[in-house]
Amino acid sequence: MPAPRKNRKVLSVVDESLLDVHEIQGNILAGFNKDHQLLIALAIQDVAAAKAWLTRLAPHISSLSEVWQFNQLFRAKRRRLNHDPTGLIATWINVAFSHGGIVKLASASDADGVPDQAFRQGLPARAASLGDTAAVAGEPVSGDWIVGADGKVPDILLIIASDDEGQLQRAASQLRPGMGDLAGAPQVIWEELGATRSDLPGHEHFGFKDGISQPAVRGLVSRSPDIYLCDRLLEDPPAGEIAFATPGAPLVWPGEFVFGYPSNNTNDGSPVASPTLPPWVRNGSLLVFRRLQQNVAAFHGFLRSAAGALAATTDFPAMSAERLGALLVGRWPSGAPVSRAIAQDNENLAQDPLSVNDFLFAADTPPPHFRTGHGTAMTFPPATSDPLGLICPRPAHIRKVNPRDQDSDKGDEFDTLTRRILRRGIPFGPPLANPPGGQLPADDGVARGLHFLCYQTSIVEQFEILQQDWANSTENPKPHGHDMIIGQPSGGHREVNLLTATGGVQQIQTDRSFVRMTGGGYFFAPSINAVSQFLAKM
Amino acid sequence: MAKYGAFSAPGNNSDFQNDATLASDWNKQMSAVFDTSVTSVSAYLAHHGGGTCQLYNPVANGRPDPDLASSATDIPWNGFPKRYGARGPGQSPNYAAAEAPIVAGTNRDQDEYLEWFVNKKAGKIVSIHFTCEAWDYFDFLASEAPNKVLQLYQTYISPTVQMSDLFPDGPNGDYDKLNKWNTALGAMHLTHPANNLFAEVFLAATATVRRSQHGTEITQSIPLIRCSKYGDDTRNSDPAIGAAVNGLARQGRNVTLANPVGLYIGAFDGAGLMLNGAPAGNFFKVVRGAFPLALRAVYELPAELAAQGLTVSDVKTGASAIQFGGQIAERITMHIAGVASIARDIQNLPVSVCGAVPQVKPQAPSLAASAKLTALRSPQEA
Repeated sequence: MPAPRKNRKVLSVVDESLLDVHEIQGNILAGFNKDHQLLIALAIQDVAAAKAWLTRLAPHISSLSEVWQFNQLFRAKRRRLNHDPTGLIATWINVAFSHGGIVKLASASDADGVPDQAFRQGLPARAASLGDTAAVAGEPVSGDWIVGADGKVPDILLIIASDDEGQLQRAASQLRPGMGDLAGAPQVIWEELGATRSDLPGHEHFGFKDGISQPAVRGLVSRSPDIYLCDRLLEDPPAGEIAFATPGAPLVWPGEFVFGYPSNNTNDGSPVASPTLPPWVRNGSLLVFRRLQQNVAAFHGFLRSAAGALAATTDFPAMSAERLGALLVGRWPSGAPVSRAIAQDNENLAQDPLSVNDFLFAADTPPPHFRTGHGTAMTFPPATSDPLGLICPRPAHIRKVNPRDQDSDKGDEFDTLTRRILRRGIPFGPPLANPPGGQLPADDGVARGLHFLCYQTSIVEQFEILQQDWANSTENPKPHGHDMIIGQPSGGHREVNLLTATGGVQQIQTDRSFVRMTGGGYFFAPSINAVSQFLAKM
Repeated sequence: MAKYGAFSAPGNNSDFQNDATLASDWNKQMSAVFDTSVTSVSAYLAHHGGGTCQLYNPVANGRPDPDLASSATDIPWNGFPKRYGARGPGQSPNYAAAEAPIVAGTNRDQDEYLEWFVNKKAGKIVSIHFTCEAWDYFDFLASEAPNKVLQLYQTYISPTVQMSDLFPDGPNGDYDKLNKWNTALGAMHLTHPANNLFAEVFLAATATVRRSQHGTEITQSIPLIRCSKYGDDTRNSDPAIGAAVNGLARQGRNVTLANPVGLYIGAFDGAGLMLNGAPAGNFFKVVRGAFPLALRAVYELPAELAAQGLTVSDVKTGASAIQFGGQIAERITMHIAGVASIARDIQNLPVSVCGAVPQVKPQAPSLAASAKLTALRSPQEA
């Protein structure tokens, strides 16, 4: 467990921006991290009524300041108690708008002022490039989406999250447009509740711990005293190398996630001044929402059969479904990384926040150099250099979408930092029950999956690169196959080459997808002031 | 097992068919390129106490021991020049600057071993022509088989190309690699000074040199290239190739390049290209070589669609019409195929100095170079 923090005062002089903590919506940089999260998609009927409803909503929008402070309190109590504190409950509200929604509330030129081509075009127009496919050949790709289909794109996406479902539902009842609002208030066109798994909190439906790796955003939440948004446990590295806030969490300039702040130079990680933007865009962020339905039974069935085939080879005689799953994800179900837990899962490693995400791919992972009093030496074997993917396959999901210190087809390791996203997803639907006796679960026909949510300042250069250029490709960011988890190349065929240190290579492949896109959208989460003083303004 | 009988023509093209002398001389030229690279690195390592050169000439000094699976040592990068890529949030790639029109005598500013020519009629894009063939290969062909060069131009650029367009002083004179058909009117082969095979081999060789600073070995691609100075840190390709080769060297492996040596169009992602609601990704055709060793490709509409008056400018990516060749180029994955031994038996030490490896020509090339060899130039000289 991490050592107690002596304080969070800045320990070295670093010129970082003071974040506008009362203006930036809280889910962007702090993350709600709640067990229950409701997504409500709204269509604007009448602009005046929509503005009136937004005026009512605006005071409820949770700021970075509020969410960050609560998270600090929650973590402090958890450190002291050694378990999640009970009774510490908060309910948070955030809101985002599609391009069409901003056109209605402001103007087309204002909507076009949000500087991202993908946002302007919307998810349905980009779906084919992402590999999303139509349910029926020849039909529009988004034709069967349950939310966000072409022509039915929500104007507004409301996010309500809470530690307590009852509190969440009360907040939803209060904030949904309805009685008390003007006639023609926005209409709810879809809503769905997400929740962490009660049987495996923090795990997605395939059974793997999710959301472990996030970039550490630079910036201050306070001056006098100076307090960083993200704790800084590690000493600064030698000049020219990537700096980390905590083991495995590289420091990234806030402009990669929130407009109006310095972003990363793709060649050396140095700060690049924010481009000139319309004032109302400042402190906003682009939100990608994808409702990814998971076929849990098909996934585990594939693992079982593919592992059996591999075990029949001389290259992988000891292959099991569990190990194959870990190789395709890059982590064991507990979250322990394959790079450090090579042969089997390691719950102790998974439980150590200073170790579970501390690994590189290209180079040997050096021991973390903690600032005095801010950490302890690791007790688990460090990850060793694995540029070829002989330990953690290069197509492993976590390696595909975050190559860490490895360069990519798009550039060097500093370029890779500019592809990072802030993930805020949560599962939906009930877990699929595992039958006793090690039998494979059968599909029960119940919808389950992930409300994938992520924030960034360029959907084109961040989320879309991860999905289109990397997950869907056999070659990028490094060769050896597709991302078997979220990859959706043209035709649906996916393959992965598994290599041995002695030159062996075995290919596994499937035409069956385990994850299917069933709805979503591209949105802009403006500053709180922009909601109340710009979009809601009559 | 990287032990080849001879260096083949790039992309296994048929240029040497029925011309054993040409094939033999190319083999000698490539062998000389490897020998120079190995000699240079060996001298550098000897001077700095770094060990022995881990790159070898796979023809003259091929190794019989087994290698890693070939895909392990494949190195990809994006074909669109990084220098013109998006410069930050809200910025679009500078497609226009990346393909600014050029005139004869000048080169394209496209430095990822992929260059392209946009063929327009009445302001509409009719076709986009891509090449990844190194200019030093064409220098070689021109020095030995000028008629073959003319034939290639007439096949891939225009049947109206004349010998005098390519060789202003006659077939025995110098080849004008920046002639109008390779610049203003087309793209037969690469024009950027850095886009040559010698630079590729020399980069691979010098990237095997392990480096350290302040007692710590350098492993990240940008610090490596800035210390080793084997290429340009503003490109996608050089840092990627250098870091991959250096990673293999740090593991103690012997390395070389797969035959045929070259930098190739390895893959194309046509997902989301649409023409009137129908997929348009399959309009990308390899016309010389074949994936993953493609040398030339063209993106153009099938004749039946072109006959309807449709053009590439009518193709959309997302909701945007294709306006630039770069919108297709950024969907191309380039690659180079390396070879690395399974054995990890080289115990080289990092050298504690930074700087480029000086070029040293071998005293006695492993294959007598009787051909009229083109000048070997380092990336810095190119």
